[in-house]
Amino acid sequence: MAKAMQPIVKRSLFSWVFDGNLKWQLLLLAIIGVFVFSRVLPLEMQKRIVNQAISLRKVDLLLTYCGYYLAAVLLSSACKYLISVLETLISQQALARMRTALFEHIISLPLSFFRNTQPGTVVNTIVNELAVPSNFVGSAMSTPVSNILTLLAFAGYLLWLNPLLAVVSLSAYPAAMVLLPLLQRRANAANKQRVDLSRTFSGRIAESIDGIHEIHGNGAYRIEANKFNRLVEALRKVRVVWSLYRFAVKSTNNLFTSLGPFLVFLLGGYLTIKGQLELGSLVAFLSAQEKLYDPWRDLIEFYQVFQDGKVTYERTMEFFDVEPEVAILPEGRGPLELEASLEVKNLSFITDSGIRLLDDVNLSLHAGEHLALVGFSGSGKSTLALCIGQLNKYSEGHVWIGNQEVSQLTRQDVVANVGMVAQSPFIFEGSIAENLLYACEAVADETRSGKGLPSLDDIIAVLHHTGIFADVLRFGLNTLLTPDRHQELVKAIIRVRRKFQEKYGERLSDYVEFFDENAYLSYSSVAENLTFGTADRPEFANRNLTRNDYFMKFLGDEDLLPLLINIGVKLARQTVDILGNLPPDNVFFEQSPMSAEELPAYRLVLEQLRRRKTQELAPDDYLRLLDLALRFTPGIHKMVGLGEDLQKLLLEKRARFHADISRDLPEAFTFYSNHEYIYSQTILNNIFFGKTKTATPQAQELITQSIIQLLIERDLLETIVEIGMHYNVGSKGDKLSGGQRQKLAIARVFLKEPRLLIMDEATSALDNKSQTRIQNLLETRWKRKSTLVAVVHRLDTIRNFDRVAVMKAGKIIEMGGYEELIARKGALYELVGRK
Amino acid sequence: MSSLDENNLSPSSEYQENLDILRQTYFFSGLPLESLKVFAYLCTRGKFKKGDALFRQGEDDDGAFCLISGKTQLERTVDSKTFLVRGFGPGEFIGGLSLLGETRRLYTLLALEETICLVLSREKFSKTIQQFPGQMPRIFKAVVSAINRWEERFLAEMPGECDGCLPRLGVSLL
Repeated sequence: MAKAMQPIVKRSLFSWVFDGNLKWQLLLLAIIGVFVFSRVLPLEMQKRIVNQAISLRKVDLLLTYCGYYLAAVLLSSACKYLISVLETLISQQALARMRTALFEHIISLPLSFFRNTQPGTVVNTIVNELAVPSNFVGSAMSTPVSNILTLLAFAGYLLWLNPLLAVVSLSAYPAAMVLLPLLQRRANAANKQRVDLSRTFSGRIAESIDGIHEIHGNGAYRIEANKFNRLVEALRKVRVVWSLYRFAVKSTNNLFTSLGPFLVFLLGGYLTIKGQLELGSLVAFLSAQEKLYDPWRDLIEFYQVFQDGKVTYERTMEFFDVEPEVAILPEGRGPLELEASLEVKNLSFITDSGIRLLDDVNLSLHAGEHLALVGFSGSGKSTLALCIGQLNKYSEGHVWIGNQEVSQLTRQDVVANVGMVAQSPFIFEGSIAENLLYACEAVADETRSGKGLPSLDDIIAVLHHTGIFADVLRFGLNTLLTPDRHQELVKAIIRVRRKFQEKYGERLSDYVEFFDENAYLSYSSVAENLTFGTADRPEFANRNLTRNDYFMKFLGDEDLLPLLINIGVKLARQTVDILGNLPPDNVFFEQSPMSAEELPAYRLVLEQLRRRKTQELAPDDYLRLLDLALRFTPGIHKMVGLGEDLQKLLLEKRARFHADISRDLPEAFTFYSNHEYIYSQTILNNIFFGKTKTATPQAQELITQSIIQLLIERDLLETIVEIGMHYNVGSKGDKLSGGQRQKLAIARVFLKEPRLLIMDEATSALDNKSQTRIQNLLETRWKRKSTLVAVVHRLDTIRNFDRVAVMKAGKIIEMGGYEELIARKGALYELVGRK
Repeated sequence: MSSLDENNLSPSSEYQENLDILRQTYFFSGLPLESLKVFAYLCTRGKFKKGDALFRQGEDDDGAFCLISGKTQLERTVDSKTFLVRGFGPGEFIGGLSLLGETRRLYTLLALEETICLVLSREKFSKTIQQFPGQMPRIFKAVVSAINRWEERFLAEMPGECDGCLPRLGVSLL
């Protein structure tokens, strides 16, 4: 296992057949042996049944031979099943290995590769295309071996029965073996033509639809139709040719296999009449002839799978056969500990098309010095930063970090010493905590350095420093607690609630809608307004209400169903109309009553509603609409209004429901009460005993400040932040704002405490306050400790950098201390003046 | 059945109102309905009390406002002296450029009385317009002609004695 594996793109398709599957393949071979025997045995039994049992009229022999026959058939079926099982195991194993190896290879490819490669191509390759070659791998050994052995066994048996007859009847197969591949080749060529033409064809259709305005505007229906017809005609011809060759393959194959019995009848019949062949042998011959067809067909099909698999595999591997620019892991040593000095000499970076993005750049930094790179966009700042961080492979010159040439280091050496914050940092699906520890875990994981992960205190300190603390706190405050895990916290929060009402209730009343038994709550859902309480039994939880008989009966008795369904229909119509064609990004769906995943189902319900009335909908569809109405929260879902009359009515029904359920099922609900924790509501709503009404930054700031005050008094702040760190940031971090993503990315690198820090416009999405905070932090905590190369686009932050380099058209045109450069009245002075 | 019929159930929604408002702004009026609907849906209402700032000088601009009701005043502070620039009232659209790129607010906009406005953040705008790439040119066109109109009007109304203004003219030549 220790030997280094060849990269996947250099491996042949056949290497997957036995690699790691040897034991299974051997077992398969053994089973195939038994299988072939069990397929031939019935032939001999047939002969004996006719020749011995029937002609001698011996019932006991008949029973014995039939017994053998039955046993052979059962054995052969069992073997066939086992063979399929093993084939599946082998091919799925190969698929899993191919996927893992290819994915690992692809993510190690240089960034330049991905500039020309669509994510869709990678997805399609890994998800779909590898399935074809892996199918081949599963049957690569078993199908040819079992079928060829079967064919040979049958042929051998036939030869043993009657050599002359056997030779004549088998003569058809060699001829087929010559003719069939020829035909298949023609079919393949036609197929290739068909694929190409189909692509043009789709393009043509897409163009017509894109230009539909123009077609209508000019009344050019005839012209478009004629262009289209020409392609249709060409495609028709190619398809006919392709189909004809395919049928020719099939028919030729059929012809040859049917010629066999004909020859057997002709010659075998003659020999039997002449008494040179027993009747039983003739029967065995005929049946062997027929049975030859199955393995033969399997072989022909296998040939096709092999061809497809080979072509797909080779094309895929050729596509991804790109050398990684640097080695990922060092061989035979741990990652180097680099000194944090930086020296760049005669550095040039030339693109594939020959453009010089960097031209003879020179600079040097002592360990702990801070450098700001400034200049217009396109001047090469980011390119230089990426070269230093080893993400761009430079064409000429040198970059030394602690006297080590960067292009010669492994990726792991660089990662262990350098931290990068990219221009638009990427945040992965997962919790805040996972994203925070991403860089630290990567280092710890690969180097096994035993350097422990940062402690909670370290993490909280970094959250404070980077200014994302308040955001994480807010996520924590928006969490639902569960009764089994948070009993102590819950009691504390009730105390905070009391304090909040005393201290801030009045001041924040504009921003909070307090839970009030006698008011309709615009920021709570229809269901919450009706029940006005927390379900103590799961079947009464909001999401289960449409499946709850008691609640449904209540809605029915109170005549609420038609009204609610009406709301549901309107919500569904408007939401599907507005969001129907948008991607599942949180920005679009956070103000929607339905999630992106649910939208297609609602679209189908609306389709139904075109043809029938709501009462005629299938029960599931009806309940779907009702569910939507129950979620309706007019303060958030603004596409539909909720009239005052209806609010008043729902308020009356709340009282009725309250009375009914207290009488019938008193243990089902806890009604909202100022003295109790509401588990169906977030921590924040529990402190408020209400819900926030507005999201303006001013209001949020005010709310956050007052809550922080209270939490500090109760020593709860860190507990809530810890809960907030489990917040899931959504796919690509889409539940975070641009600023939050950037702060998280900075925090992630700060936690790693790299010796060399590269920040590529890392604070561009931050507000002034956060930006200043990060700047101060760099000056107080990181100066002299870590070397910093920062690409800066706001010149008011560079005053305290040790050095400033002004770049223009790929060159450093000026470098020195800030004051020095300003005094020189050169390029920096110009730039700052312009601002 | 209660007395609540269809009509009582159809109060005008905020979304519909937003749609009407956006169609009257120069920035959005040229857009087809399919994208306009998304913008109308994504807009939120901001309510500002007397003395609250809709935005402040020096802050990063984060989006555009369209005043629905109330009264506001635009100010600029230089060396701790504050100048009144102008007022903005209902129907006026402020900050279209900030949807297109990052800059910093050069002015402070204060609410003089309770003010309600539509707010659209840059993030929402840019994520939406990415879905309708063909429509960006229309917005650029609208912005360019708005800048030109602005300067034309300024030139027409410019007081004769404003000599200091001349070297600063030409924003439409940018």
